[in-house]
Amino acid sequence: MIPIEARLARKALKGDQQAFAEIVGLYQDKLYHMAFRMLGSRQEAEDVVQEAFLRVYRNLDRYDEGMKFSTWIYRIATNLCIDRLRKRKATYSLDAESTEHEGLDGYAVIPSDDRTPESEMLLSETQRIVRQAIDTLPAKYKSVMVLRYLHDLSLQEIGEVLDMPVTTVKTRVHRGREYLRKKLERKL
Amino acid sequence: MNCAQASRLMHEYFDGDLAHEDASELKAHLGGCPECRERFNDYERTEGFLHMALAAPVGRTEADRAALTDRILKSVPGRRSRRLARWLRQYPGVTVAAMLGLVLLASFIASWEQDQELVVRGSDLSQIVIEGNKVVVPEGARVDGDLIIENGEAVVVGEIRGNLTVIDGSVNMASTAKVIGEAREINQALDWIWYKLRSTVIDLAS
Repeated sequence: MIPIEARLARKALKGDQQAFAEIVGLYQDKLYHMAFRMLGSRQEAEDVVQEAFLRVYRNLDRYDEGMKFSTWIYRIATNLCIDRLRKRKATYSLDAESTEHEGLDGYAVIPSDDRTPESEMLLSETQRIVRQAIDTLPAKYKSVMVLRYLHDLSLQEIGEVLDMPVTTVKTRVHRGREYLRKKLERKL
Repeated sequence: MNCAQASRLMHEYFDGDLAHEDASELKAHLGGCPECRERFNDYERTEGFLHMALAAPVGRTEADRAALTDRILKSVPGRRSRRLARWLRQYPGVTVAAMLGLVLLASFIASWEQDQELVVRGSDLSQIVIEGNKVVVPEGARVDGDLIIENGEAVVVGEIRGNLTVIDGSVNMASTAKVIGEAREINQALDWIWYKLRSTVIDLAS
């Protein structure tokens, strides 16, 4: 029995637009949520999601059914997010004045855009502090933490998504957890 | 067990990977070490905060969703162009051949449309008489070699010792006419292309 996504992918590859729309329906929220948590901006999250689906569409013929479809699509979206975070770093590190909100490796914390949804405006102080602490994580830790705590992926699956050994994932989760513990200890 | 070992086991625990016997050892250590117990509680809180902060709903409306779906589906190329694009990517030679064909066709059509005036070609034109758009090989005259006429009428009374080719015109042979080679009329663009190709090939071969 082939998983539903693989079947949809085959149909979409044959030119079935409806099947592709179903894939978008299945994964749009998951990708958006992840991108929003990684990037902290609606606009950027939407751009990443669109770009990710476009890549999925273009590379359907290269999708290996031996891999879970979710792993594949998360990999595409995560890589796009990491690229954006790295570009941000490159842009902002040129700007010596904006050191005020820097994270542990010089990542600038970009304020989210002004179209903040109402539910986000009602964030508790605790949530805000936790969110800010997460935002100071370097991209390679952040992606691991988001996959872990948002999508509840196992360390094994995170390794597959990020194409790295599970021991590396483990190290990053541990360091990320340690970093956040220290960061939050003083604030909460 | 020392505190560093305990810390490592705590991570294992929160990863969901802690073996049963390690769990009891860790429990024993935590029972006797307030610092590690504190640390364990901190990790637990951090875990809770992370789940809460990361998994909290992002507050998107159905309209936001629909708008993004629409944007995505519009950005992907349609069925036909996608298949064609993939096919062309697979066989790049086709693109090259098609382009070459197009250029050749265009130049043929251009030369086809250009040639509206009378053209007479041949190796021996000394005895030929031209009247308006008529090309006459008079009685008793002899043309040595091929004769090619474009956009005109060939009136053959004498003798042609070679091929006679008339393009976009007509051939009018008298009963006395004598053509040693082949007499042909070409009136269609396709024939014209064929003729051009053939003469190109013959030119190249000779």
